[in-house]
Amino acid sequence: MTQQDALKIFKCLSDLSRLRIVQSLSRGDMYTELLAERLELTPSTVSFHMKKLEDAGLVCSRKEQYYTVYALNRTVLEQTVFDLAASAPEQVDEQQKREEEYRQKVIRSFFDYGRLRSIPVQRKKRLICYEEIAARLELGRVYEEKELNAIISAVHEDYCTIRRDMIGEGILRRDGGRYVRLK
Amino acid sequence: MEEFIQYLEQKIAAGKAEIAALEAEGRKDDANFAKVRTNIYDVCKTVSQALLRRPDAGVGAIRAQFDRFQTIWGAALDKAKEHHDVAGIAVEETKLAALQDVAEHFREATGA
Repeated sequence: MTQQDALKIFKCLSDLSRLRIVQSLSRGDMYTELLAERLELTPSTVSFHMKKLEDAGLVCSRKEQYYTVYALNRTVLEQTVFDLAASAPEQVDEQQKREEEYRQKVIRSFFDYGRLRSIPVQRKKRLICYEEIAARLELGRVYEEKELNAIISAVHEDYCTIRRDMIGEGILRRDGGRYVRLK
Repeated sequence: MEEFIQYLEQKIAAGKAEIAALEAEGRKDDANFAKVRTNIYDVCKTVSQALLRRPDAGVGAIRAQFDRFQTIWGAALDKAKEHHDVAGIAVEETKLAALQDVAEHFREATGA
């Protein structure tokens, strides 16, 4: 476990509703609707909390007929605060981390469930969005124009502008009517 | 209609108290959902008052606006479900539940 994982656990548990969920689950595995009833929350709110607990590695889920049943991840929960505090620092380049955070922020702002809301005016942001679109293409594979248009238009209706800009930015290369992703 | 606006004002005041209580209790995420809910009552109040002031609008126009909200947020909920966006589902369901409550009280107050 890294310090980032430990931090995630502490952040996740610094919420009374989630502490109550952990308390309820310590008595036995439970499904969303039952937890919602016990905690006087809506099932969708409980699902929201469960997702956070699951992301922090504190609970795990399994499907039982129509229900999602949650159980505590006791291996993580039985660690002491000393164990968590002693976790190793993550080996990440700070600059790289900041860039990735910025990238994710741009993607969150401009994409709505995989659809590009609008083409960013700022070049830096536009490049991030084009790289995100390019991730839908295999590196080095040759695409026919029709196929490429279909992929881009699933993201934004102005596929012509995007395709042209991606070539201009060196993300795509055009050979006649065929295209290859370069990066 | 005055009664309906008063009802919305009560819900907004109660919502604000709930937000403060939840935050004090250390339930920040639940407080955020209460903010979403309270905001819906606020939006409905603003829209209702604005439409009542317009001579060409009125009760029917308010009803139509609530129906539009229902369509837009219902579509947003479907989209969130389609993408398994748990946070999005919780937000849209909170909005729709508050809107349903508003619509029921509107029906009782106006018969529309």
